[in-house]
Amino acid sequence: MTRTETVGGPELLAEKRQAAWEEYRSLPMPTRKSEEWRYTDLRKLDPEAFEQLIDSTGGSVGALASDDIPGAVRDVLSESATRGGTMIEIDGAVGRLELDARAAEAGVVFGPIAQVAMERPELLDRFLFSSDVAPMERKLWSLHVAALSGGYVLHVPQNVRIDDPVHVVRWLSRAGVMVSTHSLIIVERGAQVTVIDEFMSADLDGEALSLNGVEVFGGDGSLVNYLALQRFGAGVKHFSMQHANTPRDCTLNSFNVSLGADLARCDVTSHLLGPGSDSEMLALWFGGRHQHFDYHTLQHHAAPHARSDLLFKGALTDSAKSVFRGLIRVDKGAQLTDAYQTNRNLLLSDDSQATTLPSLEIAADDVKCSHGATVGQVDAHQLFYLTSRGLTRAQAERLLVFGFFGEVLARMPVDSVRERMTDAIERKIGI
Amino acid sequence: MPKNETVDELGLDEYKYDFRTEDAPVFKAKKGLSEEVVRQISAHKDEPEWMLEFRLRALEIYYSKPMPDWGGDLESLNLDEIYFYLKPQDQMERSWDDVPDSIKETFERLGIPEAERKILAGVGAQFESEMVYHSLKEEWEEQGIIFESIEDGLRKHPDLFREYFATIVPPADNKFAALNSAVWSGGSFVYIPKGVKVDIPLQAYFRVNAEQMGQFERTLIIVEDGAEAQYIEGCTAPVYTTESFHSGVIEIVVKPKARFRYTTIQNWSNNMYNLVTQRSMVHEDASMEWVDGNLGSKLTMKYPSCFLVGERAHGEILSIAYAGDGQHQDTGGKVVHAARDTTSLIVSKSISKGTGRSSYRGLCKVYEGAIGSKSNVECDALLMNETSRTDTYPYIEIDENQSSIGHEASVSKVGEEQLFYLMSRGMSEEQAMTMIVRGFIEPIAKELPLEYAIELNRLIELEMEGSVG
Repeated sequence: MTRTETVGGPELLAEKRQAAWEEYRSLPMPTRKSEEWRYTDLRKLDPEAFEQLIDSTGGSVGALASDDIPGAVRDVLSESATRGGTMIEIDGAVGRLELDARAAEAGVVFGPIAQVAMERPELLDRFLFSSDVAPMERKLWSLHVAALSGGYVLHVPQNVRIDDPVHVVRWLSRAGVMVSTHSLIIVERGAQVTVIDEFMSADLDGEALSLNGVEVFGGDGSLVNYLALQRFGAGVKHFSMQHANTPRDCTLNSFNVSLGADLARCDVTSHLLGPGSDSEMLALWFGGRHQHFDYHTLQHHAAPHARSDLLFKGALTDSAKSVFRGLIRVDKGAQLTDAYQTNRNLLLSDDSQATTLPSLEIAADDVKCSHGATVGQVDAHQLFYLTSRGLTRAQAERLLVFGFFGEVLARMPVDSVRERMTDAIERKIGI
Repeated sequence: MPKNETVDELGLDEYKYDFRTEDAPVFKAKKGLSEEVVRQISAHKDEPEWMLEFRLRALEIYYSKPMPDWGGDLESLNLDEIYFYLKPQDQMERSWDDVPDSIKETFERLGIPEAERKILAGVGAQFESEMVYHSLKEEWEEQGIIFESIEDGLRKHPDLFREYFATIVPPADNKFAALNSAVWSGGSFVYIPKGVKVDIPLQAYFRVNAEQMGQFERTLIIVEDGAEAQYIEGCTAPVYTTESFHSGVIEIVVKPKARFRYTTIQNWSNNMYNLVTQRSMVHEDASMEWVDGNLGSKLTMKYPSCFLVGERAHGEILSIAYAGDGQHQDTGGKVVHAARDTTSLIVSKSISKGTGRSSYRGLCKVYEGAIGSKSNVECDALLMNETSRTDTYPYIEIDENQSSIGHEASVSKVGEEQLFYLMSRGMSEEQAMTMIVRGFIEPIAKELPLEYAIELNRLIELEMEGSVG
């Protein structure tokens, strides 16, 4: 894997990717000796073993015929809900892209990275790959940048409000490939938008590697809801690196759902950079088979008067494993911080394993910070009560698992997604 | 509470043990660590061959392990400048009268002999590298209790010693356990026979007097079936401009149905690196409690552990840390659930003041098969100043679904509303602050043997309790 040709964009993109490639080569693969990778072994991960997928359309939008859209993707998009924008990406290539006419009129930019790089280079120059990525995450981040297959840029100008969610569906079609996608979301002062990134594939007959970088840059007083729904089939190893940057009075919420893939590593970072900024970080996962979920979160309070609230809940069955490693970091001077972090785990089988490391690093004294973590099984008393009312044990368990997720699902900002995720969890529980 | 008292007058910041006695040790090993030093230590102790081999093997392990890159900053710890062995006198005494005057004076100023007369079942006192005094009241000796220096334990009870020594903390456990295994000197050997219940504590007192001194005590405690006892450890040193180093290893076996409590009140001077491995193996229906008070030292890295290996075993770690200017307390606890229906509780309270930093670092591990295990961890941190810092790093690893694990932590500053209320009742801000700090640490302070812990008495003073009139 040495190809770093651009996806058709200008030199700017090529330069960034060349630099990333050199960084990638200079860094060792993290081992389990580092705290960040203690529970996920990368030794068996050999990116060179995968065929690197490059968007061959040169950054233009393909004309994907309706019949060529995979059935699962079609099902997702046939929802009656209206959308502010739609994008279908197949194996890293943008096959279809639509933007609501009113949004386009208001000056919203929504397009493949390579295309936007030519039309609005100043946007990319300032924002693309500029997030503060932690040293131990840089190996995979630089691989992601160097091996970029495609991705999109969404730019919402000042005071423009996109009412309906912008929905991006990414489909991975086969085993043996590596696809690296990027989401760059720039929301100017006072603007509002909700974005859904959805990842899907069928169960594959071999391994595939998916890398995804997300950078959200809010503007002063803006409101962004970002949803990542990971529903890959078996065989996929997925690495998601999400960075949210919130300046003054910006509210930036994220919601992660992980149901699929064999290995899903997800780094979710909120950089609270301005006073009055607010970040709600939610996630839920349901793991079965031998699935391995590894969540790393950072609530970085660099400014005073900011608030962050994290609630991550996961249920595991079969031999699934999950890791939650969360950190609240409050810098010196970030007074009047309100930061909360909760991780709750439900173990539904004998062989499932959950590890949780909720951490705090606090260097300011006038703060309110708390964190909590629990690991347990379905409450025996509740189970007994429900079965005494005539439910079977399986029905009762299912009801209690839903009750467990209900707290997070109730805070899902998009109704149609909530319904769909509820169905997907229901199918996965399979009772 | 007296009217004019303030937080500072609680005495937490003041170090009252900064006195030293001029004393010529009978033997002083060369500065720094080498095989020669290890051989010298072993020769001075007239040890059996297997112990020398054990030490040398441990030294190799020490050299082969990297310095930990987590926790506190160990960069300014220069082990080449440390004296690893300093023998203060030729033999250990059983009567205070026989202890050399200069050493005796030290312990008298610390109030040890007085405490022994009043409230202790036995006392051990370590000065530099060796125990200088060890005694046990007759009534307890008659019941078969052994309370000796670790060297005498090895000499007089070789089989018992060898059966347990280094089985709970093997040299390869961590770099500093390896170092201790190579150069250990001093510490206690305690054996509580089956069914014997000692209702007043045994105490060991550790004093470092010399400059650039490394103290490496090693304690082995065996509590037989159904026995009950408690042990208190206290530590102080004078303040020097150079760094000193303390790295102990404490091994405790708590047999079925036995109960044991180990209390540490660490008040080393602010130039001390304190890196200690404390671990207990808790068998069925037994109960182990660590009460850990960390007030002194420059950097402490210490995580008392309970390995719950028998069914229904119970482990508790109550920890209080105070980090003043320039101090870093990296403390916490570990509980490992390896049997059914085991239970554990960790309660940690920390106060960071000035540029102090306190970190909670803990592990709760539940192995598959430890069905019905329950664990709860609570950490609270109080920040006194803008420059103070606190961290919490709990590790929770659960392989068994039929278990129940919880962790809660909170960080706050002294509550404005509480402060306002108290001040509206006529208190000064400082007084109100003091009262709130006391209330904060009270749940653990009441577990500390205040009556026994002499230095703690002086530090937080007895009025910590019941002072709100």
